[in-house]
Amino acid sequence: MLGLAKGLGYTLRRLTEKKVTYRYPDVPVKMPDRFRGIQHFDPDKCIVCHQCERICPTQCINLTGKPHPDPTKKGKVIDTYDINFEICILCDLCTEVCPTEAIVMTNNFELAAYSRDELFKDREWLAANNTNVRSENSTNLLPGGKKS
Amino acid sequence: MAVRTEELLLNVGPQHPSTHGVFRLVVKLDGEIITDAQPVIGYLHRGTEKLAEDLTYTQIIPYTDRMDYLSAMTNNYVLCHAVETMMGIEVPERAEYLRVIVMELNRIASHLLWFGTYLLDLGAMSPFLYAMEEREKILDLFNELCGARITFNYMRVGGVKWDAPDGWIDKVRDFIPYMREQLDGYHKLVTGNEIFLRRLKGVGKYDAQTAIAYGLSGVNLRCTGVRRDVRKDEPYSIYDRFEFDVPVATEGDCYARYLLRMEEIRQSLRILEQAVAQFPKEGAVMAKVPRVIRPPAGETYVRIEAPRGELGCYIHSKGKDKPYRLKFRRPSFHNLQILPKLLIGENMANLVAILGGIDIVLGEVDC
Amino acid sequence: MAHWLSQPLSWTTAAVFLASAVAMLLVVLLFVTYAIYFERKVIGWIQLRRGPNRVGPYGLLQSVADVLKLLVKEDVIPDRADRTLFILAPVIAFVPAFAVLAVLPFTETLHFADLGVGLLYYVAVSGITTLGILLGGWASNNKYALLGGMRSVAQMISYEIPLVISVIGVVLLAGSLNLKEIVAAQSGGFWNWFFLKQILGFAVFVVAALAELNRTPFDLPEAESELVAGYHVEYSGFRFAFFMLAEYVYVFAMSALATVLFLGGWHPPIESLGFVPGLVWFALKFAFCVFFLFWLRATMPRVRVDQLMTFAWKVLLPLALLNLFLTALVKELVA
Ligand code: SF4
Ligand code: SF4
Repeated sequence: MLGLAKGLGYTLRRLTEKKVTYRYPDVPVKMPDRFRGIQHFDPDKCIVCHQCERICPTQCINLTGKPHPDPTKKGKVIDTYDINFEICILCDLCTEVCPTEAIVMTNNFELAAYSRDELFKDREWLAANNTNVRSENSTNLLPGGKKS
Repeated sequence: MAVRTEELLLNVGPQHPSTHGVFRLVVKLDGEIITDAQPVIGYLHRGTEKLAEDLTYTQIIPYTDRMDYLSAMTNNYVLCHAVETMMGIEVPERAEYLRVIVMELNRIASHLLWFGTYLLDLGAMSPFLYAMEEREKILDLFNELCGARITFNYMRVGGVKWDAPDGWIDKVRDFIPYMREQLDGYHKLVTGNEIFLRRLKGVGKYDAQTAIAYGLSGVNLRCTGVRRDVRKDEPYSIYDRFEFDVPVATEGDCYARYLLRMEEIRQSLRILEQAVAQFPKEGAVMAKVPRVIRPPAGETYVRIEAPRGELGCYIHSKGKDKPYRLKFRRPSFHNLQILPKLLIGENMANLVAILGGIDIVLGEVDC
Repeated sequence: MAHWLSQPLSWTTAAVFLASAVAMLLVVLLFVTYAIYFERKVIGWIQLRRGPNRVGPYGLLQSVADVLKLLVKEDVIPDRADRTLFILAPVIAFVPAFAVLAVLPFTETLHFADLGVGLLYYVAVSGITTLGILLGGWASNNKYALLGGMRSVAQMISYEIPLVISVIGVVLLAGSLNLKEIVAAQSGGFWNWFFLKQILGFAVFVVAALAELNRTPFDLPEAESELVAGYHVEYSGFRFAFFMLAEYVYVFAMSALATVLFLGGWHPPIESLGFVPGLVWFALKFAFCVFFLFWLRATMPRVRVDQLMTFAWKVLLPLALLNLFLTALVKELVA
């Protein structure tokens, strides 16, 4: 019987404690800077090296390049860049390997949609998703453990 | 006229509130006594091991997150540890400390979730939410460290992805006394509760012999008096630098398992305390590793102590950047094997207590 | 009310009775609405949550919204169910719940039927609900529902016995089965309330009442983690609402009964506080009983089914008998 009474006392004491839940949709939740949300893509920085496409464990990035419009310059520029958020697991590997930080993480996490089609994000959408971009990027993973 | 009785075939699951995921148990009942129990698994099978044969080692790490999703850090670690062992990579000090800190935090989070859901299975609702609140604090710490709350993808071959942000270590330090206090509260709320005791004491009992024969590990083994903890017996990482006890019990019942898990939280806090105190002021968190990770041809098996038991990783490499064969020894899968033996002859009412007491995670069972 | 009850039956009295019954029904419905709200709030607070807060100011309309949702939901009757019984079961479960309210006195003047055997009536009528639950479990043609229904019946029948025997002590002391007279016997300060004189009986009563109500820690019939939802697993829409309603009306009735039998009904704890109306005292004690139920729910795990039965027969029943025996003995010696 004592155990039951102790338990009752414990719950009664917690009755008046401060509540811990978030008022989420009313008050937005601030995620820490490193949070891995939906990516932001900067087409101007991309050098079409295909590293992000290759590292992606779920193969959800699709990109194509085209020759540089200015014939005097070498290399390619990005033509299309799509991420399929049906299967993206936000694992952070694409942003980790990108040598130019063309693809970076943001803190935006609201991905819910009524249709699967809306989860297919193209270059324009990703470029427009430019708020709350993560300030730190993963350069500390370069060989030798150089810190940014 | 004799009363005609019939066996009742009951499908518990795959969607049932207390099977903790998609697990199905086909039980035959004679009244309320279980005469046969057949676990059916595989609903969550994703073929991680097969998929891994087509992925580079770095790409496999996010997949390990999804095996035991309650303790992704230990899964991350076992893979990195295996590759590092094969390639003979020396992991920097600071990275090792970070790894131990996150693994122990994750162990606490995992045990907390077990505590909460177990009590929920037994019909008490509040402990679940209390445990969730404490777990939330840990997840917030993880979120700040690596940007994710469940699927961390934090460790890399040769170190960790992120160094601790400013003030993070202090937050971990502050968490320790807070967690101790909450733990005392749990004991007040639950441990002495007579209803709780009567539901657990002597339920799901087995002895050391059986446990070993079934290949149980972790708390499920230690509750029978076998003092086996990979962290102590074959220290990996830097576990040999910390002082901690391996709690054991001899009763071998659900109550012993409950007490052990609660005690393990306390021991993890002890490790954390020491790790935070010894945490190196600076240093790299990533070793010099080749850009493309190609372990030399050969085989390796490493094991670590995950919250649920002995977690092993076997890699067979042919010297390529992808494993030839990868195999995880998942403790939940092995621990689950004893379930039919424990259930047969038991009262139906003990089913959830026994199943919950084993502490399985379906992501890991089905892998 | 007493005035009306003593009149010969005429159109006026019938109209008054009808009107007061409807008023009572409304009061009870209001109580159920806010009891659910309050329960969720209290449990939420204990669990460091806020509880319902989206519908209406402070979530006050949450229960209303829930009921509306249940009412407009599709009414599903399983194909293999026994249709007639399936439809009948919620009614059988609910009607007695409301019928027992007739004998509960709330103050000296505010009461309905003034039966000489009020207590007996309560116990007898409330037993019918068990039938509704069993029928519901049986008619659903679902294994979980059947197990839940059977557990529930076994539990309710086993606990009815200690419940009744525990209140006989009160009856002995008050010398009446009439609930009004039982309250009258407790006047003059809280030391006259029966929960003190009948401390053992009170303890047995509380435990047995919890089991009768199917509330935590005896909420086995609807043990979510074992039986998914128990006897009403196949019910949806307003039929489900009826089961829920019956449950909460019984919370109302049982709390009122506990107040009447053991907590002195409308009497103030000290004579000098008599200026506060009796209804307020009644409401306070009643509210405490209800709160206690919620508080327990937020604290306790569930009792195991076989232990539940042994507990009823091997612990509660002997205790209740002992209480009866002691009461009779004391009454004989003292009086
Ligand atoms: S976050 Fe991971 S899964 Fe998503 S696009 Fe980048 S690499 Fe692919
Ligand atoms: S890794 Fe960066 S630069 Fe290379 S293709 Fe991807 S986004 Fe462009």
